[in-house]
Parts: sequence; C-alpha cells; structure tokens
Amino acid sequence: MKVILHDLPEKYTELLQKHCDTVIRADGKYAPCQGCFGCWTKHPAECYLRDSLHTVCRTLGRADELIIITRNCYGMYSPAVKNILDRSIGLSTPFSTYRGKQMHHTLRYGKHALLKVLAYGDMTAQEEKTFAYMAERNAVNFGYEASSFIPMKSLAELEEDVL
Amino acid sequence: MKTVMINASPKKKGDVSGHLLQMQRIMLHGTVVKEKLRTQGDHDRILEQLRDADTVVFSMPLYVDGVPSHVLAFMENMEAFCKEHDLQLQLYVISNGGFIEGSQNRALMQVFENFCDRCKIGWGGGIGIGGGVMVNVMRILLVVYTGLFLLQLLTGNVQGGLMQYGEQLLVLLFFHLGIFWCMFRTGAAMRKKECAGVRFTRVLVPSLIFILMADLFFVLMSLFQGGLFRGWLKKK
Ligand SMILES: Cc1cc2nc3c(=O)[nH]c(=O)nc-3n(C[C@H](O)[C@H](O)[C@H](O)COP(=O)(O)O)c2cc1C
Repeated sequence: MKVILHDLPEKYTELLQKHCDTVIRADGKYAPCQGCFGCWTKHPAECYLRDSLHTVCRTLGRADELIIITRNCYGMYSPAVKNILDRSIGLSTPFSTYRGKQMHHTLRYGKHALLKVLAYGDMTAQEEKTFAYMAERNAVNFGYEASSFIPMKSLAELEEDVL
Repeated sequence: MKTVMINASPKKKGDVSGHLLQMQRIMLHGTVVKEKLRTQGDHDRILEQLRDADTVVFSMPLYVDGVPSHVLAFMENMEAFCKEHDLQLQLYVISNGGFIEGSQNRALMQVFENFCDRCKIGWGGGIGIGGGVMVNVMRILLVVYTGLFLLQLLTGNVQGGLMQYGEQLLVLLFFHLGIFWCMFRTGAAMRKKECAGVRFTRVLVPSLIFILMADLFFVLMSLFQGGLFRGWLKKK
C-alpha cells in the first residue's frame, strides 16, 4: 500500500489521490500525543483520544511506501504532520529490539519498503542537513528499508517528485 | 539574572522532563521561573515570562527522533515573539528519550540550533539523555529505599540499615553519574550565559540489561492498567 501524508491545502488531496492508495491530510484538527503509551499497553494500535487520529497508526503501519509532504519547520516536519507521526507509535509494539545498531521497538506490521520526505518552504542549508538526517533516523525508527529526502524549491516540483 | 525553565512534557504528572529540570535547577542562581508547556493555552503565559528573561531552558521528551508536535507549535509562536520584541535570550535544551543511547537526541538538538538561528537568539547547547524512563524508575526506588531504611531505624537495626541504604544510594548515584556530570558542566555555562555545547549521556546501565528492563517495565505497566498482552503484537 502506498500512503501520502501531506499538509498542503485541501485541493491537493484530489491530485495526490491519483498517485497512491490512501491520502492523509494533516489539517491540524486533532490533539497532540499525551505520552501515555496506551496505544502499546492498554488498547494496542489505538489511541484513547477519539479524534481523526484514533487509529491512524494502522494506516501508517500498513504502508509499504510512505510519502510525506511537509512544510519545513527548523529542519523538521510542520507541527500538524509531526502530530500524526507522534500519534502513530502504535505501529510498533512495546517490545524492544536492535535496529541500525541502536535500540528500537519491534514492528507490529513488519518492515516497510520506502520512506520519502518532500519538504517545501524557506529552508536554510543547515535545516536541509538536519531534515535529511531526521528522515534517515525516522526511517530506521519506523522500520523502512530505504529512505530519501527531497527539498523542493517550489510546489511545481511536486508531481514530478511524487510520481 | 532571570531563567525560565519550561517543562514541555505533555504528561500531567510523573514526567521525566520535570524531574530533570528540577536537578538542573539546583545548579542555577538568580530568579528562576518554572513553566509547564502542554497545550496552546500555555503559550501566551510563557511568552510573557520570556519578555524580560536572560536564559530559557527547555526540558522535553524525544518523540519520533525529534521535537514533540506541541512544542514545535510553541516554537513557531516563540520565533514571532522573539523577533517582535528583539529578545536577547540564551537557549538550552535537556531532552530525554526512552531508548538507551543518548545520541538518539542528536536530530532534536540540531532542530533547536536551527530554531535559535531563525529567532536570532543564542544557542546554548544542551544535554541529550538516553534511558529516560529509568530515571523515573530510580526516583521511585529512592523513595522505596528511604522508606525501608526508616522502617529499619524504627525496628532498631541502625547499623545494618545504614549500610544497606548507603549501598543502595551508591548504586543509584552510579547510574546517574553521566547525567550529573553533564548537568554540572551545562549548569556552569548557563550561569555565565555561555554556550555549553551539546552533550549526550545515558543512564549508566548496559544496553542489553536496559532492554530487558524496558520490556519488564511495559509488562508491569500493562498489569497496572488492568490486564496483560491485550493483543500487544497483533496486526489490528
Ligand atoms: C509518541 C512518542 C514517541 C517517542 N519516540 C521516541 C523516540 O523516537 N526515541 C526515544 O528514545 N524515545 C521515544 N519516546 C519515549 C519518550 O521519549 C520517553 O518515554 C521519555 O522518557 C518521556 O519523557 P516525559 O516523561 O518527560 O514525557 C517516545 C514516546 C512517545 C509517547
């Protein structure tokens, strides 16, 4: 399954839909993670907060390919996109393992193929470096075999990069 | 000198971030204001505190290798506020992750350095700590050990109790040594409003033992929540 997670205006959802199985739009109309770990221990793969991200970890967990399109925020995802990633840790289990020579959690849905991060908006050279490193780290953490980071000069590049 | 210490854990209580901030606070002089950043509703109050501050210290959990989303939202507001009021702050960060390697906090530290560049405020560096949950466990152990020691005193076993308690305290101290050392060095820089650089440390437990303890921690947590293995590994 190919999933696209983006924080672009609503009109882009339709365009992106043509290139994947599921589009998740980060509209920010949901609460941030409360850090309770209930999605691991109490009601696995489900958040106790009953908003639109209640079971979003299941969608991200099933993605073979995940494309994230996000505004750059100091070399990181926008708050709305990061909120979805934070609320998705239920895609792993509470048990620990070693991955990339470091401690991580075992994966509920197994390994994924590709994580691609496309960032737009004003970005300094240092932020670009940070973001590339962040995407690499997230790929290991969430169990992706490969990852890439693409800073976009403008949204016109979008279709070319997503395809 | 005014320091604003921001505990940015979203938890209402029992967070590691606040406990770490408390430890760092011992090493600071001057006026220290403690703030809690959990929701959008906290933003204005904290920003007002920053207006006449010299130093700001953030303490937060590491979420998915980076800054938790509610903190990112605050940072965007803080950037606007810093520019509008031309703040001359020095910023430090203490971050703690559940994984044992302190270096897993590296990307988060870079994000804060980039943030300081954008805000045109001073980047003071900070401490990335691995094995954060263990810090909490040790806090509980300290209370338990102290309780047991007091019981032994009551039953008249002063010498034996003292020996045992002393040993237990030494072990806890050993596990904390890396954190204490980094806080000591960072605290010295904070007092002078200088850049401390970024340090990574961890709870001084071997990784394999830590992993076993982390697994046990989640099993116990699940039991306390009223059940065990409710489809922990199932694809839902
Ligand atoms: C949504 C979420 C994501 C997390 N991601 C990471 C991570 O990527 N790396 C890590 O070491 N710990 C991670 N943790 C663990 C927390 O950083 C750790 O439990 C920390 O001690 C919590 O601090 P607090 O009690 O101050 O909130 C994550 C926890 C949550 C709830």
